Amino acid sequence: MIKFAAAILALYASTVFAVLEVTILKKDEDAFPIVIAPFSVKGDAKQGEVIAHVMRDNLNRSGEFNASSADYVVTSQIDFDKWQAEKTEAIVIGKLEQVSKKIFNVEIELIDIYSRKTLYAKKFAVHNSGIRRITHYLSDQIYFALLGEKGSFDTRLAYVTVENKGRGKREYRLEISDSDAQNPQTIFRAASPILSPSWSPDQNKIAYVSFKNGRSEVFVQYPFMRRKTQKLPYFDGIASAPSWHPNGESIILTLSKDGNKDIYSYHLKDEKLTRLTQDASIDTEASYSPDGERVAFTSNRSGQVQVYIKHLKTGKIKRATFEGSYNAKAVFSPDGKSLALVHRVDKDYRIALLDIATKDLTIMTNNKLDESPFFSPNGGMIIFATNKGDSGVLSVVSILGHQTFELASKAGEVREPNWSHYSK
Amino acid sequence: MLKITALITATVLLSSCTTAVEELYQKVAPRPSLVTVEDREQDAKESVIAADSSSFESQDYSGNYSRSNSQSNLAKIATAELKSSGVDFVLYFSYDGSEINEAATKEIIKHANFMRDNPALNLRLEGHADERGTREYNLALGENRALAVKEVLGLYDLASRVEVISFGEESPIAQLHDENAWQKNRRVEFIYQ
Repeated sequence: MIKFAAAILALYASTVFAVLEVTILKKDEDAFPIVIAPFSVKGDAKQGEVIAHVMRDNLNRSGEFNASSADYVVTSQIDFDKWQAEKTEAIVIGKLEQVSKKIFNVEIELIDIYSRKTLYAKKFAVHNSGIRRITHYLSDQIYFALLGEKGSFDTRLAYVTVENKGRGKREYRLEISDSDAQNPQTIFRAASPILSPSWSPDQNKIAYVSFKNGRSEVFVQYPFMRRKTQKLPYFDGIASAPSWHPNGESIILTLSKDGNKDIYSYHLKDEKLTRLTQDASIDTEASYSPDGERVAFTSNRSGQVQVYIKHLKTGKIKRATFEGSYNAKAVFSPDGKSLALVHRVDKDYRIALLDIATKDLTIMTNNKLDESPFFSPNGGMIIFATNKGDSGVLSVVSILGHQTFELASKAGEVREPNWSHYSK
Repeated sequence: MLKITALITATVLLSSCTTAVEELYQKVAPRPSLVTVEDREQDAKESVIAADSSSFESQDYSGNYSRSNSQSNLAKIATAELKSSGVDFVLYFSYDGSEINEAATKEIIKHANFMRDNPALNLRLEGHADERGTREYNLALGENRALAVKEVLGLYDLASRVEVISFGEESPIAQLHDENAWQKNRRVEFIYQ
């Protein structure tokens, strides 16, 4: 284990950006027991360790698996009785062969211990630089082969870090990383607040709010292209809370150009603005349903802060939350059936899951000040921001209510998480 | 709203007639020409980024509030006088509230009079919220608080000289996580420039 840590450390000591610390919090006793055995390696042994290690961490972070290693390399001669006695249900074995300085052949096999059948097998060549990415892809395949659902590993996160620079000055960074917080990159930094990063459905753009011009404005940045950051046209008042239409063509946002804070949709190519709500109260924090037919948003039109859903075809707006005096910042689950939102319990703000049809509300967390919930692309987890001690961290809870992992920064606060869709 | 209007009518205008307001304004307003003509010339020549000695962090956010030095000095001198006369430059609000109560209205009226006496100055109202609740909602709430103050100033035809900006919960004055700190952070700040 120490060796692994050292290997990982060596790999990342050279990166400029601080990697968030990932803490896997608790393994569920009902979680699926799986062994990812050490790979047999010819050549650079480090890479084989990286694959097996990253794969175990991925599965454990999902909360669905209890992934462990084996003391020795397991070859195709599998002692099924031994693994069965140890209550292991599946095993992953692999081979890594270095064929040139930077090219590796990788072979992987997932075997069910009880049926003794191969559930998934893959053989391919990979460049050094693609090993992590391919490991996330393989983790998704294993997840699917065993649970019949997609994993959320080959995806990316976006978040904001805040570092105190003394004398009241702060540095805000908009960062993106792999789903396991590795490979972090700062894509924008400023002395003023950054809010609400939102990945476009094609994963090529990030919309966010920046105060760099002295007030809240919405920007669209292209983190992987040599293309200038685009500012959405300026209207008087605040522009905030951007979120993408599932077709990626327009952004839904809050504008207060006539004093009223209402929801608008802005079509990027046509440069056309469409008003979606018109009410004297605050309407904000809008997000589309996955089919693009509904919009959930926060409004205090009833005198309380509650979540509403507008059906775009009929134009009808219905209140969605009835439990408690404060429900806000709702986002749709990938299946469109539930909302993750911020729910006030007495004096505390917690993450809750609302079944839209039955109106059942389940409180998922037990903290004082939770914010910004967002679903993993497979809908199995919710990432959110919370306070731990005096600092902001990101926390992830499985939709079954188990807290699975936490992301913290040594340098300061982490907040405003957003999870990308699947890579293409 | 009716209450506010009534209060204003009673305490300041003494008359609801606009010509009377105009007369009153003509009487109390200092002749601004001496200062402003010079200022405008300077504005045209240079756009200096003001060195910021204010304690409000939010002013550090942007490097591009350009105003001339003399304008900023004028604002400093004039507001120092107003501050020393005991007028509040920060108004506080209740949880999730943006209502202006009677005491706050009286303070805003003092600012309205000050603005009339100093027609060269513009006012920036910065709305803030405490950390509770979501960031984007608080951004909207902060703007509502500043707009509520602007609405009162609008009754004096000062709206065109008032700029409203919200920082939501992003720029707290008190860093602790208790009612005492929250109360200090739910505020609107008056900044003359």
